[in-house]
Amino acid sequence: VRLWRCRCWALLSRPAGRLRASRGLAAGPEMHFGFQSVTEEERREKIYQVFESVAKKYDVMNDSMTLGIHRVWKDILMHKMNPSPGTLLLDVAGGTGDIAFRFINYVRSVRERQLQRKLKHHQNLSWQDIFESYQKDKFNSLGDSQVVVCDINREMLKVGKQKAQHLGYSEGLSWVLGNAEELPFDSDKFDVYTIAFGIRNVTRVDLALQEAYRVLKPGGRFLCLEFSHVSNPLLSRLYDLYSFQVIPVLGEVIAGDWKSYQYLVESIRRFPPQEELKAMIEDAGFFKVDYENLNFGIVAIHSGFKL
Amino acid sequence: VRCQHYPPLRALQASAALRRASDEHKKEPLTSSSQQHFDSPPAGHQPEQEPQGPRPSYTGQGGQESEDYESEEQLQHRILTAALEFVPEHGWTAEAIAEGAKTLGLSVAAAGMFHSDGSELVLHFVSECNAKLSKMLEKEQKLVQLGEAEKKPIDEFLRHAVEARLRMLIPYIEKWPQALSVLLLPRNIPSSLNLLTSMIDDIWHYAGDQSTDFNWYTRRAVLTGIYNTTELVMMQDSSPDFEDTWRFLENRVADAVTMSNTASQVQSTGEAVVQGLMGAAVTVSNAETSRAVR
Repeated sequence: VRLWRCRCWALLSRPAGRLRASRGLAAGPEMHFGFQSVTEEERREKIYQVFESVAKKYDVMNDSMTLGIHRVWKDILMHKMNPSPGTLLLDVAGGTGDIAFRFINYVRSVRERQLQRKLKHHQNLSWQDIFESYQKDKFNSLGDSQVVVCDINREMLKVGKQKAQHLGYSEGLSWVLGNAEELPFDSDKFDVYTIAFGIRNVTRVDLALQEAYRVLKPGGRFLCLEFSHVSNPLLSRLYDLYSFQVIPVLGEVIAGDWKSYQYLVESIRRFPPQEELKAMIEDAGFFKVDYENLNFGIVAIHSGFKL
Repeated sequence: VRCQHYPPLRALQASAALRRASDEHKKEPLTSSSQQHFDSPPAGHQPEQEPQGPRPSYTGQGGQESEDYESEEQLQHRILTAALEFVPEHGWTAEAIAEGAKTLGLSVAAAGMFHSDGSELVLHFVSECNAKLSKMLEKEQKLVQLGEAEKKPIDEFLRHAVEARLRMLIPYIEKWPQALSVLLLPRNIPSSLNLLTSMIDDIWHYAGDQSTDFNWYTRRAVLTGIYNTTELVMMQDSSPDFEDTWRFLENRVADAVTMSNTASQVQSTGEAVVQGLMGAAVTVSNAETSRAVR
C-alpha cells in the first residue's frame, strides 16, 4: 500500500508542475518536506531528525544507494576545484567529512609535486641546504591549506570527527557547528565554498546562497554538488523506478529507517532543476555561473565566482 | 606591479573585484576598448550588472564616482596579464594564473575560471604580442607616410617584422616549447591558427601587399613557413642574442624574395614545403651539434 501511495504521489506531483509556494521560495510558511507540505520550522526540525537518525549509517547507505558512484562524483568535484596549496576551504553541510578528506589528500599531493619541482631546479644545493629545506617543508605538507567543515547537525559532525581520527587526518581540519542560512564566520574569509548533497536540505536556499557570497573572498569560488533533474525520458523513468522502489527498501534493510530514505528520494524530486538553481546562484551575486551534469543529470555541479 | 584601486566600500553594486572603469581610465585611456566590451555582453547576465554603454556618473559614498563596471572579460584579461609575470617560474599553467590572481587581490580560486592546462594564458599572450606588433608596424608606417623615415625594401621589412615579433618571446623562451604544445592541442587549434594567420596578414598588409590574385595565398604560405621555422630554430638557439636565428631568418627571406624575382609568379606551397624542410634540417643539425658539444 505504501509503495502504491508513493507512486501515486510521484505521478500527481509531476503534472501539477512546480508549485511555487511549496518550493520554499519565500512565498509563505508553507514549504515542502519531500512530497508533504509543512511549515518552515517543522521542515527544519524534520530534516534535523532525519539526519540525526541516519548519521551513523550515512556512509554505508551512500555506498549502497549509489553503488559507490558517489565517491567518483566527489572526486570529480575535487578535480574541478583544483585547489592549490594555501587554499582555505569551507565545506558546508560537510557532515561526515568526505569532501574535507579529499581536499586534504589533493592538496598534499599537489604540494609534494611542487616541492619536488623546486628541488629539481636547484641543482647545486649542498647537503646542508637540502636538509634544511626538508625540515622546513616537513612541517608544511599542506602548504597552509585549511578546511573548515560546517554542519548544522551535531550527530553528523560527531561521526565526521570519529572518521577523521580513525583515518588519521589531524592538521588543517576544523569542525564547526553552524547553520548554512546564517554562517558563524566573518565576511571575505574563504577561497572556496562547497556544499555537497546539502543544499537540498536547506530550508531557505536563497539565504544560504547569500551567506555563501558573504563569506567568500573576492575571486572566491562557490561549488555545489547536488542531485538534479534527468532530462532524458527513458533514463528518467529507470531512475524514478530505482529511486522509489529500491532506495527506501535499502534504507529499511540496512539502516532500519524507511521514512528517512523516502524523504531523501522525494526531496531530490522537489529540488529546483539545473537552470533554476543557476538563476538563483546568479541572483545571489555570483558571476560566471555554470553547471556540469554528471551521469546525464542525476547529479550536477554548479560553479560560480564572487567577482 | 600595478597598484590596486579597490573601492573600499561596495556602494551600489555587490561586485567587489570588478573595478569601476573610471579607476582604469585614470591609468590608461582605454575608453574605446571598454566601450567595445560593453557592446557585446556575454549571455546569461543578471540585471544587476550594467554593461550597456556609459551611465551618468554620480557620487557614491566616500566621494567616488561610479561609472561603468568592467565586464568579466576585462577582469579575466587583467588576471592573465598579471599571470604572465609568473610564467618563467611556474610555466604556462593554472598555478601561474593563480599567482596572477593573487597579485590583483583576488583569491587563488579565481584561477578556476580558466582551463587547468593554461590554454587561455598562452592564447592571451599570443594575441597581446600580435596586437603589439600591429601597433608597432602602424606607427612605422605613419612615419614613412609623414616622410620621416625611409620605406624599407620588402625583404628588410619582412625580416624586421618577424624579428620584432619573435623577440617578444625572449623573456619566456625557456617555457615556450610548452606553450607551443598547448597551442597544438586540438581544442586550441582553431584559435591558434586564427591568431597566426591574422598576424601574417597584418605583416603583409603593412608591407604594402595589395595583391588580389593567387599571389595573396602564396605570400601568406611563404611567410607562415618562414615564421614557423624561424621560431623552431630560435627554440634551440644558444648563440648570444640569438644571432644564429636572425641569420637563418635573413637567409630564408632572401631565398623567398629571390625566387619571387626569378619567376613571374611565386611558386605555391612547394616553396613553403622546401623552406620547412630546410628549417627542420637546420634545427636537427643544430640539435646534433649542440648535443655533440655537450
